[in-house]
Amino acid sequence: MVNKKSRNGASSVLLEARGLIKDYRSFRAVHGVGFDIPDNCFVTILGPSGCGKTTILRMIGGFESITEGSISLQGEQLMDVMPYERPVNTVFQNYALFPHLRVEDNVAFGLRLRKLNTGEIKRKVAEALETVQMQAMARRYPSQLSGGQQQRVALARAFINEPKLLLLDEPLGALDLKMRRHMQVELKDLQQRLAMSFLYVTHDQEEAFALSDIIIVMNEGRIEQVGTPEEIYHSPVNSYVADFIGGANLIVGSVSSVNEAKGRAHIETATASVEADCSPAVREGNTCCLCIRAEDFEAVADAAGDDDISLEARVIHVIFQGSAKLVEVEIGQQRLVAKLDHSVVTRVGESITLTVKKDRCRIVDGSPPGRKENE
Amino acid sequence: MKPKRLDRQRRLTLLSLAGPNILFITAFCVLPLLVLFSYSFFQVDFVSIIREPSLENYLRIAKSETYRGLIIKALVYGVGIAFICSIIAYPLAFFIAKRVKVYKAALLTLLLIPLYTGDLIRIFAWRVVLGAEGVLNSLFMWLGIIQEPIWVLLFSPFATTIVLTYNYLPFMVLPLWAAVEALDDSYIEAAMDLGCRRIAVFFKVILPLSGAGLVAGFLMVFVLVVGDYLTPQLMGGSTGITVTSAIHDMFGAAFDWPTGSALAWLLLVSMTLFVILVSYLFYRSPWGRGIRRNS
Repeated sequence: MVNKKSRNGASSVLLEARGLIKDYRSFRAVHGVGFDIPDNCFVTILGPSGCGKTTILRMIGGFESITEGSISLQGEQLMDVMPYERPVNTVFQNYALFPHLRVEDNVAFGLRLRKLNTGEIKRKVAEALETVQMQAMARRYPSQLSGGQQQRVALARAFINEPKLLLLDEPLGALDLKMRRHMQVELKDLQQRLAMSFLYVTHDQEEAFALSDIIIVMNEGRIEQVGTPEEIYHSPVNSYVADFIGGANLIVGSVSSVNEAKGRAHIETATASVEADCSPAVREGNTCCLCIRAEDFEAVADAAGDDDISLEARVIHVIFQGSAKLVEVEIGQQRLVAKLDHSVVTRVGESITLTVKKDRCRIVDGSPPGRKENE
Repeated sequence: MKPKRLDRQRRLTLLSLAGPNILFITAFCVLPLLVLFSYSFFQVDFVSIIREPSLENYLRIAKSETYRGLIIKALVYGVGIAFICSIIAYPLAFFIAKRVKVYKAALLTLLLIPLYTGDLIRIFAWRVVLGAEGVLNSLFMWLGIIQEPIWVLLFSPFATTIVLTYNYLPFMVLPLWAAVEALDDSYIEAAMDLGCRRIAVFFKVILPLSGAGLVAGFLMVFVLVVGDYLTPQLMGGSTGITVTSAIHDMFGAAFDWPTGSALAWLLLVSMTLFVILVSYLFYRSPWGRGIRRNS
């Protein structure tokens, strides 16, 4: 696997994972994955359920053995270190707050095990609860808290131990949409205030975009791409990433020529012949896709100029989305989705002319994956 | 307002489900106990029962060191055996719940098989193991560890304890297993994540969170051990007299139903008090939070 160096030149590498493999009997959940986590950085592993992202988190936390490969934290191997000796803490998916302990005792749990003196524990617990704005709930039991409040206590219980790396396993999964949005902002804010590295696992790309400095996109136990949210969205390396992130339109074609120096290629598809930026793996003769984001389409009255690709298509569905509408169209066998303004008149069954600027297109490696249900 | 048809229907269903059970328990358990209660105030004159209520029986029992000792002995045995059972049962329950995946049902069945054989068969099987010419003594002698059989293996409190523990262990393992099975692994992982070693994980998380199972098993074993008079009689030798066997004798050979009734009621009351005390203490403790909701 290719490792990207951190964007931020000044920060050093905190955690290094190399060639991680995890086998469950005959099933290989993780196929040789490697990545770096820099200091003070919000890193997200993004992928569909069953892609091995939680397994990686659990290997770092020490709850799963490593079949092959290595994980080192600040240069120290974690291979044979027991979970209770690792300088990492985990926020569990279901929070795992101890139901028999009050909020304050839950938060103090780790400190008491480290035999800190009572006064110091008290001060730190108060501080941590204040950080997550839960001072008022200190005497309550977890069952008396709402989901969002439990979430905050779980966070406080983990970061109060000052881990070098905080692991978060889909911690917002159980919250409703509004609470989720709110907690996203809080999480990001918290990470910056604590100046701690967070490794976050989610299947929700919107969440990953909102929070992360670096996103690791995973699929079937392998890393597909590592990069900033902008890179992942605008320059997907292959058709899988392009499809998984934001569900781009993918039009299969064959590449007729590649200019590797410029990173551009020419693709012939059933509907258009385009020269555009391409991902590094694109080679002449490979099956490749022309990738167009739904929001890059524009509806026009007549065919446009040379810088544009224009397509005449039949409208199949119109989906109201609040701020805009999603229009599904058909050209021959190909189905595309365009995000259009409400002012554009679209009637199911009628034709519409769509244009897209050539410099908004991108050629990516691989054939379009079977379209799965997007969440 | 008149109850809605749906509510009426629901009440009717509840009543028809619970009714027969309530009737059965009243007729065959509560009523006989009340009869027993009234008998405990009567006197016996050789072969006839004099129906003149007095507290005579209770006073006699309260003054008698033998009877007091028997009741205390029964309670001590109950608590002791329940305690030993819980120590053996915890690792077993944890193993079956958390480490075994495929053979879970098989192991639980294996655990219950001794219960399918009768009391007497189990007790006599142990006599074969523990007797003077039994399996253990023969083995030790053959190995040269001892020259003469150890008599105390059989007909002693030791033998009684072993067989009682063996007999009632499943009643501790089952509720504990259910409690540990329901305990989410993430609690254990969270404890380790926060710095608990294995022993600390047990005392700080597993024990408090499976407390309901422990108390259920504890009370079940306690009640069964207090009521068991066959095992002490057949395994304990001269030490095998229990309060239940005393009650048995009162109703049988001694023909002193009133004293037997009073003794039975005293035992019943002290057991009930103990059970209520344990349940209350558990309910009030933080461990009870698992079964208490939103208070």
